[in-house]
Amino acid sequence: MGFLLPNLLGFLIFTAGPVLFSLAVSFSNWNLERTVPFAWTGFENFIDLMHSQDFWLYFINTAYLMIGMPLSIFGSLMLAILLNQKLKGIVVFRTLFYLPSFTSGVALMILWKALYNPDFGPINMLINTISHDLGGSIHVAPAWLLSTKNVLGLRVESVGITIRQWGLGARDALVIMGIWTAIGGNNMLLYLAALTNVPPELTEAAEIDGASKWSLFRHVTWPQLAPTTFFIVVMSFIGGLQGGFDQARVMTDGGPAGTTTTLAYQIYTKAFEQFQVGYASAISWVLFSIILVITLINWRIGSKDLNY
Amino acid sequence: MKKFFIFTFFFLIVLSVVAWKIQPPPNPPGKTELTWVSDDNPARRGQIALFNKLYPKDILKLDPDNSGMEKVIVQSLAGVGPDLFDCYDGFQLSAYVKSGIAWDVTDQLKKMGINVKKQVWPCIFPDLMLDGRIYGVGTNVSVNAIWINKKLFDEDHVPYPKGPWTWKQFIPIAEKMTKRDSTGRIVQYGLLCDWYNWPQFIMQWGGSIYSPDGTRCTLDSPQCIAAIQFMHDLIYKYHVMPSPVEQAAATAGGWGSGTISFFAADKGAMALGGRWWLCTLRQNSVPMDLGVVPCPFGPKHVYLGYGKATLINKNSPKRYEALNFLKFEASKAYSNLICHQADGFGPIKAYIHDPIVLHDPAYPQENYNQVWINVMKYAQPEQISPFVNGNTVTIIINKQMDLIQGNEKSVPDALRTATRQINEEIQKTIAIDPTLRMRYEKLTGRTVN
Repeated sequence: MGFLLPNLLGFLIFTAGPVLFSLAVSFSNWNLERTVPFAWTGFENFIDLMHSQDFWLYFINTAYLMIGMPLSIFGSLMLAILLNQKLKGIVVFRTLFYLPSFTSGVALMILWKALYNPDFGPINMLINTISHDLGGSIHVAPAWLLSTKNVLGLRVESVGITIRQWGLGARDALVIMGIWTAIGGNNMLLYLAALTNVPPELTEAAEIDGASKWSLFRHVTWPQLAPTTFFIVVMSFIGGLQGGFDQARVMTDGGPAGTTTTLAYQIYTKAFEQFQVGYASAISWVLFSIILVITLINWRIGSKDLNY
Repeated sequence: MKKFFIFTFFFLIVLSVVAWKIQPPPNPPGKTELTWVSDDNPARRGQIALFNKLYPKDILKLDPDNSGMEKVIVQSLAGVGPDLFDCYDGFQLSAYVKSGIAWDVTDQLKKMGINVKKQVWPCIFPDLMLDGRIYGVGTNVSVNAIWINKKLFDEDHVPYPKGPWTWKQFIPIAEKMTKRDSTGRIVQYGLLCDWYNWPQFIMQWGGSIYSPDGTRCTLDSPQCIAAIQFMHDLIYKYHVMPSPVEQAAATAGGWGSGTISFFAADKGAMALGGRWWLCTLRQNSVPMDLGVVPCPFGPKHVYLGYGKATLINKNSPKRYEALNFLKFEASKAYSNLICHQADGFGPIKAYIHDPIVLHDPAYPQENYNQVWINVMKYAQPEQISPFVNGNTVTIIINKQMDLIQGNEKSVPDALRTATRQINEEIQKTIAIDPTLRMRYEKLTGRTVN
């Protein structure tokens, strides 16, 4: 016990304490402006939250930024398979692909902001050049971070879909950037580790039995990767629901028109810009509940198929 | 591997020794170190150097990394805040006062012989005065005028505009100075104007953000709608001002960038901005041939005055020493330095008549300072409401302004939405804040349940 005490005390003071404190605060009207007298308000913050259109819009934004998740997981797997080959200089390739993970996130975001520049960004220059070469207009590229449009046609100020909003905009820009960052990240490393752990006798036996490359992957490798995939999916959901703060802070300020404001960013603005700490704590706990429920569902569904 | 770790260990030791060797020397004994949280404008270096020279018992240091209002409040409440910090508007002052970190220096200034109400430019009163109490002297003041890129006018043989003039008179000149390439794309705009200047347009059209007592948002008034519609028309009807997408190239961020850099790159013949733009324009690699004319006016001949004040942290143990900085701000030496640096004007009205303001020998080509002096007379302070959190209002308005700028929502619809949401926020605030509720009831004569 004496050996554990320093660590335990640290955990209680710096982790468990603030977490429980935020739970208590979520039932109060605590405001950093001292003219508002402190009062316990019960579930008032939570009720307000459920009736707030902004909360639901920002929840949708949060979920929207996660739509690239399957693609990034698939990309990580493909990349891991490629980097699992016994090639000369493969370590260099592995390092290069992992580079986005240990590069400063803010630096990457500033770089992407420049890439998305509607006027001189390389992405739009390429799109406009291709369009021009095909005989079309040279001004067809999307406005990316300045546009409220999105591939699902989500409305800006209310929950719903409209054809007017269909297109590519800020949310899609963040999704694409997220996919790029995630493909070569920790998921790729996890898959790489899992691939090296696939028992060689299984693949050899399948090869001797004449299994094709696809059959080998489908019936031998993929099932062996199931626990890793399950872990990656669970962690991606958790990360996705907590995400969006850095991008909003660095690239968009949550705009245009609030379309890149996620729940994590709303917690920050409510607490530290609007000083409503009680309300912000309530959002945090609702977000925690959503994450918990989704993780439990993932666990229940995912663990059924885990045979290894 | 063992060798690698041993090498790393010794390498870290060497780095530590280097870091220890190059650390700044401790302050000489008897000197008080004051930390000033402010922006990273290069002009701050000169201001700090002059303060340290005039007040040898103090050492003023700049901390540009903690300049967010939320950071200042949280750090000051936690006892690790700065001694001095900047306040940019009335809402910030109200937040600093309400959170208990802005020091009321009314009595101290009186003892020092500084009469803020008489001596300081009224357009920065919202930044330093709340409910009759004074919290600072003012760091600088400014008002916008129209910058002219004379080279572009000369190339097209268009005579320079002269003030006073109206926005109606401005349009044909701006249209003449807007140029397109062979594909129809605009390569030079008649006017560059940051959208955040919208309060000035509202003021010039006779509108106001709030009712005079601040109890109600009035952004949906015909005057406000007409003002914002005019800004929208500058982009989409007259095509003389860049849309947000077109101006994205100018929004690189950081101090002194954005529209100023765009203007310096000859992308606009005219630009709405303050004298402080010179801090950047003077550093342009190719010296610009600049002129200044008063900003056109609308139905009302007024301009938005703005600036900032430096406040003292109430919780700072060095707050009495920090008073020296306010004394410094009220001095002629400080005002002259601000004028010389072109960081707007100093806070004291009387010093604007100093000969150095009109003709700075270091910058003889800047022969337009009389225009700045003249327009300062028309500078009006921005309007705030004590009944609502300014950041909440900013979020609401920015959202609607994004939609207007992007041509995705009509001006009347957007302003009606903003007005409704701000008024709802006012009602929410007075419901939880008893002091504000009493004040609201007194002003409106209505009882709030």
